[in-house]
Amino acid sequence: MISPANPNKRAVASFRTKLSAAIMVVVSVLTALGLYLAQRNITANAERDLQQEFQTELSSLHRLQELRHAALVERCRILAEKPRIHAALEDNALDLLYPSAKDELRDLMEGGEPAPGQAASTLRARFYRFLDSTGAVLPPPNSKDVGILSKAAEAELAFNKLPDQQQIGYLPDTDSGKEILDEVTAVPIFSTETGDLISALVVGFKPFEPVTRRAGTGILSGTWVDGRLHLPSLSKPARDVLAAEIRGVPMNTDHTQNNFTVHINGAPHLLFYKRLNPNSLFPAAYEICVYPLASWIAQLHQLRWQIGGGGMALLLGGFVASHFVAGRFSKPMEQLAVDSEKNRARRKRAEAALASTSEKLKRSTRYSAGASHQLKSPVAVLRAGLESLLAREGFDSKIYEELSALLHQTHRLAGVIDDLLLLSRMDAGHLEIASEPVNLSQLIDEWLDDLSAVPDSIDVKIEKDFPIELNVAGEKRYTSLIVQNLLENARKYNRRGGRIRVSAQQNADHVLLTIGNTGCPIPREAQPHIFDRFHRGGTGSSISGHGLGLNLARDLARLHGGDIALLRSENDWTEFQVRFPVAQPAPDPAS
Amino acid sequence: MRGSACFNAVLSLLPISALADAVVEGRVELPKSHSAPVVVKRYEIVTQGGVLSTQPPLAVVYLEGAFPKPKSPPTKQVAQKDLAFLPPLLPIQTGTRVEFPNLDDTYHSVFSYSPAKRFDLGRYRPEERPIPSEAFDTAGLVTLRCDIHEHMRGLILVLNTPYFVMTDAEGRFRLRGLPPGQYTLKAWIDSKTTREKPVALKNGETLHVDFP
Repeated sequence: MISPANPNKRAVASFRTKLSAAIMVVVSVLTALGLYLAQRNITANAERDLQQEFQTELSSLHRLQELRHAALVERCRILAEKPRIHAALEDNALDLLYPSAKDELRDLMEGGEPAPGQAASTLRARFYRFLDSTGAVLPPPNSKDVGILSKAAEAELAFNKLPDQQQIGYLPDTDSGKEILDEVTAVPIFSTETGDLISALVVGFKPFEPVTRRAGTGILSGTWVDGRLHLPSLSKPARDVLAAEIRGVPMNTDHTQNNFTVHINGAPHLLFYKRLNPNSLFPAAYEICVYPLASWIAQLHQLRWQIGGGGMALLLGGFVASHFVAGRFSKPMEQLAVDSEKNRARRKRAEAALASTSEKLKRSTRYSAGASHQLKSPVAVLRAGLESLLAREGFDSKIYEELSALLHQTHRLAGVIDDLLLLSRMDAGHLEIASEPVNLSQLIDEWLDDLSAVPDSIDVKIEKDFPIELNVAGEKRYTSLIVQNLLENARKYNRRGGRIRVSAQQNADHVLLTIGNTGCPIPREAQPHIFDRFHRGGTGSSISGHGLGLNLARDLARLHGGDIALLRSENDWTEFQVRFPVAQPAPDPAS
Repeated sequence: MRGSACFNAVLSLLPISALADAVVEGRVELPKSHSAPVVVKRYEIVTQGGVLSTQPPLAVVYLEGAFPKPKSPPTKQVAQKDLAFLPPLLPIQTGTRVEFPNLDDTYHSVFSYSPAKRFDLGRYRPEERPIPSEAFDTAGLVTLRCDIHEHMRGLILVLNTPYFVMTDAEGRFRLRGLPPGQYTLKAWIDSKTTREKPVALKNGETLHVDFP
């Protein structure tokens, strides 16, 4: 019991380890999956939030810009409709054009510097020019009045053909050594006389410098026009790097708007660009907004660390839980293992006992069978000798009586030996039943006849109660033996003037034969043992018998698929019942 | 025939020399009008394809020649009434001073960038006194504009002659008290169209001239 416990414990420990490992693997995989998904989700969310924030920021900016553009255009359109300007252009008075415009545009040109907060709503022009009907710039008589513009910049204002719709452009120029970018609006002027396109007014405004922007966001905004970047808030080297990055991106469609990540001074930035003047005849200008991603990335990193930490804690918890669960699960397993070990030992012992018993039984059976055979021959010799002696004449009559008694004893001996032989064959499992329909009623009748013919029979009354035809399944020889045994017992253990009652009836599967007799009942304490081999009812030795009859009968009945039971034994009445299987309908069609 | 009464009134205002009594009458073939050919009192200046004309079409017929300038230049008026110049077309002799009274309840700012006369009266109210005026010394067509009301247009046809008349809606005209001699009779139809015919005028004779 102790020796197998060690490997057992090892096995249980191994089971526990494996279970724990499996749970850990599952927990790890789930945690990793959860972390991955959470991380991805959070990153996507953060990116979306960033984009949204950025877009919100930009869209408010764009709305402001659009309003401003609309205001610029409207202002210029109103200016272009001024009667004096029209009169100068239509009445061939070009010399009066700029002087007239000077009056009209005075408030636009001479309004003082706007307050910082009103930059978007205040329209302050830096210069204006008129174009003639060919699209060339009409030279102003005095450039001081119309805003000083470098020759190159002025040339930029000309069109190959007058635009018939307002145009917005961005014009880089230098003003006293400082780089500036003007927001240029060109509005066409149509003759009120002919309806022809006769001129255009081009007004350069100071670009929109939004100051209402939230301070914390750190968005840098500039303009990309003509392959040059105007982003004054960025240092020149950084600007050059950014310009190089932007140059790598194709921006040639009118409505293009996109974003991508750039690196400025090694720090990642989100760059957004949008065409400022779609469909314009002026060179394409793009708004460039740069959003530093460093803090966002740091935030994301922090978030990742937090998720990672949470995941680790979860994993640790999972490990502890898995250990605990594995322990809980392995406990019944352990118990089971111990129990099964105990069971195995018990079974082994039982098997050993069984084997030894079986061996003993076999030996006894062999012995019994051998003994029976060895015994039969001398008995036959003895009986033959006695019979020959009895047949001889000349002996005293007393000797004949003796010889006759001896001969009777040899008959009994032979009966015992037969019974033993049969029992030993049954014990060895060698007895095979050749089952056939047996007429039980006829069998009983025959034996009852024999019974009454027994010479020293006591005077008993026999009552019969069974149908004429009662067929049971069995081998006639053995069925007869069972009936004989029970009837002989009924006679043997009867009292003088008693009776024997034989009744039989058939139900669905069985034929029940009940044999009762008067006489001294079997003592209660002996009743459980009456079917044991060599047991003799506890009766006196006055009754002949060898204690094999009931045993043999029951074994035979059981071998046939039936049984014998003691129904009752009390008050001068002992009753046995035999159960026989009903014979299957005879295959013979004649019957 | 209220229209002809009006024209007779205009004609009666013409300075007529006591001795000169040659008469030219006839008809100017006027461009087809979109409106019904009825004699209307009111007309307006319209621009079509860069051409200024009256609507319905009217012509100014005048006798061109070397006539002395009047000693005391007459004064005419072009009023601004109901956001329009009235009369919309005013033929005058060079040297004539034209007053521009404001008969509306709003500001007007009459100016002209025409080569024949550049002037700018600036903004003024109805009660502005003296009435803003300009003298027109160069012959030619002067386009009147208002700086405040950009749709307003008026025309002053400055002529080097005291002999001119506006036709009626059918193009009929009659010039009286003309000096005898060889002249050119011209018919101004719109800013781009002026027809002319040589005429020989004799005292006491009435010449019939039609402008096809």
